[in-house]
Amino acid sequence: MDNLELLSDYSSFLREKKEEGKKIIGFISHDNIPEELFDAAGFIPLRLLFAGNDEFMDASHDYLPPSTCAFAQSCIGLFSLKPNQYEFLDLIDYFIVSNHCVSDICASEIISKRFDIPRLNFYIPYTNNENSIKYFKLELLELKKQLEEINGKEIKDENLKESIKKYNSFKRKLLDFSFLNISGSEKLKILQKAILYGPFFLPELESFFEQRSDNEIQTSFNSKEVLLTGGSIFINDPLIDLVEEGGGNITFFDSWIGNNYYSQIIANDILDSIKNPYDILVHRFKNNNFGDHSVPNFLENKILQLEKIYQDHLKKTGRKLGIINHIIKFCDHISLLSSHLKNRLQEKGIQVLNLERDYSRAIRGQLSTRIEAFLEMI
Amino acid sequence: MKTCGVDIGSLETKMVLLDDKNIMDYRVGRSTFDFKRVGSNMFNELLEKHNLRKSEIYVMSTGYGRNTVSFADDRITEITAHARGVQYFYPEAHSVIDIGGQDSKAIVISEKTRNVIDFQMNDKCAAGTGRFIEVMAGALEVPIQQIGELALNSNNPASISSTCTVFAESEVISLFARGTKKEDIAAGIHKSIARRVAGMAKRIGVAPLLVFCGGVAKNIAVKKFLELELGFEIVTPVINGKSSAQLTGAIGAALIAQEQRSG
Ligand code: SF4
Repeated sequence: MDNLELLSDYSSFLREKKEEGKKIIGFISHDNIPEELFDAAGFIPLRLLFAGNDEFMDASHDYLPPSTCAFAQSCIGLFSLKPNQYEFLDLIDYFIVSNHCVSDICASEIISKRFDIPRLNFYIPYTNNENSIKYFKLELLELKKQLEEINGKEIKDENLKESIKKYNSFKRKLLDFSFLNISGSEKLKILQKAILYGPFFLPELESFFEQRSDNEIQTSFNSKEVLLTGGSIFINDPLIDLVEEGGGNITFFDSWIGNNYYSQIIANDILDSIKNPYDILVHRFKNNNFGDHSVPNFLENKILQLEKIYQDHLKKTGRKLGIINHIIKFCDHISLLSSHLKNRLQEKGIQVLNLERDYSRAIRGQLSTRIEAFLEMI
Repeated sequence: MKTCGVDIGSLETKMVLLDDKNIMDYRVGRSTFDFKRVGSNMFNELLEKHNLRKSEIYVMSTGYGRNTVSFADDRITEITAHARGVQYFYPEAHSVIDIGGQDSKAIVISEKTRNVIDFQMNDKCAAGTGRFIEVMAGALEVPIQQIGELALNSNNPASISSTCTVFAESEVISLFARGTKKEDIAAGIHKSIARRVAGMAKRIGVAPLLVFCGGVAKNIAVKKFLELELGFEIVTPVINGKSSAQLTGAIGAALIAQEQRSG
């Protein structure tokens, strides 16, 4: 299925849900937004996980300077370019204003204000201590209140717990899926679709597994193996094609569309032992090792994690992984860490490409040269 | 064994024919907008002159237009090609700075494996590339071939603070209008490009022996200001007393082809 088909099917899916009386909540695709709470309240979460292009970035400049993160520019461009290329965006009823980073706050505020989409606030603490954990719970309860006011009815604890379990098993399945021996582009397409649809995608994911075990296909790739970290490869981004055309294969996605999403699984004993579902979400927040700036000593953790993945892979396959650190232009918190991350990993003999880019077509040739040269280096 | 390295740059196409490790012949010409035609004409000319057939030569393409070379047997990026090519001249090279028409690169070569271990490229902006000097030479109304010499006559380089080519051009025009000497402005322009490229190169730890190549390496003022910024002397490749800084990509591609063919 190509992206156009995916997006048109997704439009029909959302339309159907609207006809069933569901409301749609949009948000910028970042960490720690409790989609389970939306699900329990009967809303459909819509993560903005669409890549930009020149037109989207240009269209955003009525609202933001061009020196803002290219992803945030593109998110605004998605709404401001009329008619909407992604027509399902017109179906959004509410928009979450959150604070994963400064660009996230600005972009989500602009989207809500300029495109007349009522906002719901959900602010996430930038640290992970006793006080911030309490604050996170208060924010969850505040969000619950906002959703209940819209619906005019209470969100029952048992419904929230059911939603948590549903998302949890969905993430478990995605984690299993992530180990399948398929090409990076095929894997990414499914991950993007899965995160877009959420647990509605579970039957398709299961049938994908069945087909694979029926046919017992075990592809072996001659390509150089790559771990992608940093910014996600969003829907409609040709980056993965450039990697594959250059002779590489992304075998591990250490990004939001990838490991950061499906590694946040809550253990069964926690699900059973913690009665209050909000405390379960708090527990997950506390243990989220991928939340960037809400994780103390994030950079050191990241370096250790990447080194571990690299060493495990080397032990298992005898092959080295090259690391591409994908930096979306003007994404400060990824780019500020990048030299240190690269130096530290290179000291350990791991090769890293800091790949900074925006979404313009003009840099495509330059991007492929950098990727190919890196693959030649591995 | 004969191999040919074809380096299609944004401004110029370079071709080198090797017989084992010896340079049999080479060509340099404008790429124009029709890379494909320029490349194949040049190649046919070489075949004809040396009475060779395509099947006798293994062709490796490189450079910005490497994917457009229909007669190439394989391709390689210009990063890998330059790193290999400079070692033809300086086997002990540690680093490379390549400044071409539309981009600039810094490369570090492993002492042990002699392969690339790190590199940096400029982003899509023209600052730090040959295009920057071309635009500034235009603003100063000095032929591009003479702007380097002119810059070396300066005792007091002007300060050009804009890295953006468009802003720097207006800065140059206003300096000129204020009566700043042409040679001081020219020196400021070269200093600005050197500062930018040296900054990029230092980030990956370039060190002597550093080979400066690409079309801009023929400009003596860029070389001098780069040396000042880096704090050490750098070298440029020469064949028979003539600068061959533009040829390292094509030579590298042809050498890699030799090495691949001989297993
Ligand atoms: S890409 Fe970076 S700067 Fe942009 S919204 Fe995401 S985290 Fe923020």
